[in-house]
Amino acid sequence: MSVTEPLVAVENLSLAAEAPILTDVSITLERGRVLGIVGESGSGKTLLVKAILGVLPGGVRKTSGTIELFGEDAGTFEAKKWRSLWTSRLGAVFQDPGSYLNPSYTVLQHFNEFYRVALKLPRGERRNRALLALQAVNIRDAEQVLTRYRHELSGGTLQRILIALALARSPDVLIADEATTALDVTVEAEVLDLISDLRDDGDMSIIVVSHDLAVVSRLADDVIVLRNGVVVEAGPTQRLLSAPKSDYLRLLIDSHTKYGIDRVAGHPQAASAG
Amino acid sequence: MKLGYVLRKRTGQLALVLAVGFVVIGFFGSALAPYGPLDASAAPLAPPSTSHWFGTDSLGRDILSRILAGAGISLLGGVLVSLVAFFVGTIPGILSVYLGRVFEWASLRLMDTVIALPFLIVAVAVTALLGNGLIPALVVVGVLVSPIFYRVARSVALSSVTADYVLAARLYGASTYWVVSRHILPKLIPALAVTFANTVAAGLIVISSLSFLGIGVQPPAPTWGGVLAETLGYISRSPLAPVFPSVFIIAAVWAFHALADLLRDAETEPVRRQTTAALASSPLSIAGKG
Repeated sequence: MSVTEPLVAVENLSLAAEAPILTDVSITLERGRVLGIVGESGSGKTLLVKAILGVLPGGVRKTSGTIELFGEDAGTFEAKKWRSLWTSRLGAVFQDPGSYLNPSYTVLQHFNEFYRVALKLPRGERRNRALLALQAVNIRDAEQVLTRYRHELSGGTLQRILIALALARSPDVLIADEATTALDVTVEAEVLDLISDLRDDGDMSIIVVSHDLAVVSRLADDVIVLRNGVVVEAGPTQRLLSAPKSDYLRLLIDSHTKYGIDRVAGHPQAASAG
Repeated sequence: MKLGYVLRKRTGQLALVLAVGFVVIGFFGSALAPYGPLDASAAPLAPPSTSHWFGTDSLGRDILSRILAGAGISLLGGVLVSLVAFFVGTIPGILSVYLGRVFEWASLRLMDTVIALPFLIVAVAVTALLGNGLIPALVVVGVLVSPIFYRVARSVALSSVTADYVLAARLYGASTYWVVSRHILPKLIPALAVTFANTVAAGLIVISSLSFLGIGVQPPAPTWGGVLAETLGYISRSPLAPVFPSVFIIAAVWAFHALADLLRDAETEPVRRQTTAALASSPLSIAGKG
């Protein structure tokens, strides 16, 4: 793979179950860039990233197009190749972080499982690595957190744990699918700060999927807007926000302008925004 | 702790004492029996007395001794039926989720067919074909009971395989074997334990019924069903005699069923406790109002 070659290149991808889900979707993600995928519920965002991850649910099939990962056609990958990508180059976090942790496992058991299965780390090293991984995502009292089950932890901590597990692979590409949707506003801000720091820190590429235009526009260099499985608009974030071409994106931006905090009576920005 | 939950309930204490008692007489029944189960130790059809607590049967054999000596085969029969059903049902139940649609369809149809067969009649037919013996009868009944395990294993595996944490484990690079052994089997064990306890009770009834019909264990070897059949023939002259083997069968079946129910309740107790607490603290609650 050459230096300029994209890490993820999706070309005219179409997915279908009983009805079409995605139609002719193309995206490109280059090293160090953040790509935002925005769209309403049911627009096909999650299935697009699951197709990239190679974990499409049963009944959903690719009808056309190609997915290239790190310069290779993902359509030719065997199970072993996928496993090696999942354990070293692709990391993912999803909405509802609690459901991605086994209710009968402690946090340490999850890290142990990951270090044993994915990285084949010796038993003696796993606990220290888990502590460092939790500290890296700003979890305080990591020692305590390691002994807890998922129902004993807050949504924000759970999402940080999933991010820590995703980052433990040192992935080239991190996929955050509605990673802050289930969180309250203050915790959402903390997790967004964390993803923002990751973006600023190194050369990891990130795909941020959200129905919230504000979240995507805060993090992403480029955005694609999906509606009913079709790309409505795509391009650099600033250009899209300042000069939307499609009615749908204009509607999304107007909704934010109309119902955003700056429109609340008494808010310092209300007068200027109005 | 599930055992703690069982022990906190009076029903659980009684069921556990009975079940342990039955297991003990299952292992040591012959040694505990006051007379030899095949020995004519008194006059035929003697009523209960201090030397023969449950009386004697038509050949003068001590009924208590025959019940104690027959406990092993009767209870072991129930356990063996459950073990056969467990292996024949659970493994295809899990595999039906993983081995693709052809295996899934074929195994589902096969289990539907097995469910439709009346197992006492099939067991009678098979022993008529293969010859009368305990093991063929147990295996046949076990196979015919196996759809219960198949369906329990399949439903738990289906709900686990689509769980997000299983997807997360796959994304760690976990193999199917790892996912099944670490994430699905632990979820299966409580459900299977309940099913197993229920099936032991059902197997005990079937084995008793078969030996009542003269299938499986051959006379004069004692079994609870066999003792019941022998004493029932003389109910007009010795009306109390059939009561004793019946009480043992009913008590054993009840004990295993009660343990199964309590194990299931113990499994769902945290959820029920949370739901009750949530309902009590809900503004919509009618508790304490009025």
